[in-house]
Amino acid sequence: MKFLAGLVAFVALLAGSGAQTLPWETPGQPGGGGTQQLVHFLYPQQVTLPAEKPGTVELHFRINEGLHINSHAPRQKSLIKTELIEAEPEGVKIAAVDFPAGSDYAFEADPTEKLSVYSGEFVLRLHMTVERGDHLVSGQLRYQACDNHTCFPPRNLPVSVDVVGK
Amino acid sequence: MKRNVLVLAAMVTALTLMIAAGIVNFEHRRKAERMQGPQLTLVPDNGASPGAAMAADTDNASGLDGKVAPALTLADLNGNKVSLASYKGRPLVVDFWATWCGPCKVEIPWFEKLHEQYSSQGLEILGVSTDDLDRDDPAKLFTQKRDIADFASKMHMNYPVLLGEDAVEDKWGIDAMPTTFFIDRNGKIVASTVGLAPREVIEADIRKAIASGANS
Repeated sequence: MKFLAGLVAFVALLAGSGAQTLPWETPGQPGGGGTQQLVHFLYPQQVTLPAEKPGTVELHFRINEGLHINSHAPRQKSLIKTELIEAEPEGVKIAAVDFPAGSDYAFEADPTEKLSVYSGEFVLRLHMTVERGDHLVSGQLRYQACDNHTCFPPRNLPVSVDVVGK
Repeated sequence: MKRNVLVLAAMVTALTLMIAAGIVNFEHRRKAERMQGPQLTLVPDNGASPGAAMAADTDNASGLDGKVAPALTLADLNGNKVSLASYKGRPLVVDFWATWCGPCKVEIPWFEKLHEQYSSQGLEILGVSTDDLDRDDPAKLFTQKRDIADFASKMHMNYPVLLGEDAVEDKWGIDAMPTTFFIDRNGKIVASTVGLAPREVIEADIRKAIASGANS
């Protein structure tokens, strides 16, 4: 019986030790559920702003290499723009979100149609006023990514920043 | 003796599990690599060339090649139900696309021309829109359907356009657009592509679907 138990443990170890994430896991989040993200929130996790005064929080994102996402102002109506869906917790007032201008790109197979996209890293600026204390500002970055020949369905990336008003 | 049989059975089970784990890992790695797209680069608009090589996944991209196409019954733009079963006996292309998908806009005119070119050999094409539909919000749903219809009209799509559903897309393993399946007269998937494949690859796959199952 000891041999059997050892064998089962060995197989379990083999299955679990693969370099790749298994189908029931989300890459980067072993055991987790959800969709694989093509854009990643880099920083900040926490920021301090003067209480009761207008301040700015810069959110840094990185897009997977080889991919692009539409900017906040795509040139075609049918394209899905990048947007930040934010929730305002009590004690936080978000006045505006600044999106960077997009860069011009065209698909290799259709060089005549110019797109406005983000690629690599980009920064969103949140203008806000916070009351004194800790506030968890959460939201979702909605984006739709493509590479040069394939497009992926729109996704929502959770974003959270601990904003301390002092 | 009994112990030996038990040990042998355990070893066979273990070996089977190891092979299965390897296959699952391999398939998942392939899928993850496609999602990461490390080998793909963006082309600045001033450096683009329409004749440059594209890198769509054309080698059993869907993992469904050689299998019978999954069942599919979807509504078209007029609300009529269209079933894959009713196309049995004819070579068929099923193309999953979206209005927000740039590469799809490149291949749709190719499908229109190939549809005309091979219609005498029985070729049929179905375009399945994967655009999100708010089925619980009649006003939004109306606008979304109208946008898809406008797009199809603007693109002069000369084949039926169906409205996709999550359950169908899951069954067909759709996670990127365009994804295209080439199905023979017996309902078997003979080729599939994920991403914008070169026109000549698409035409070769159509010929394969026409030729396969022709005499059975």
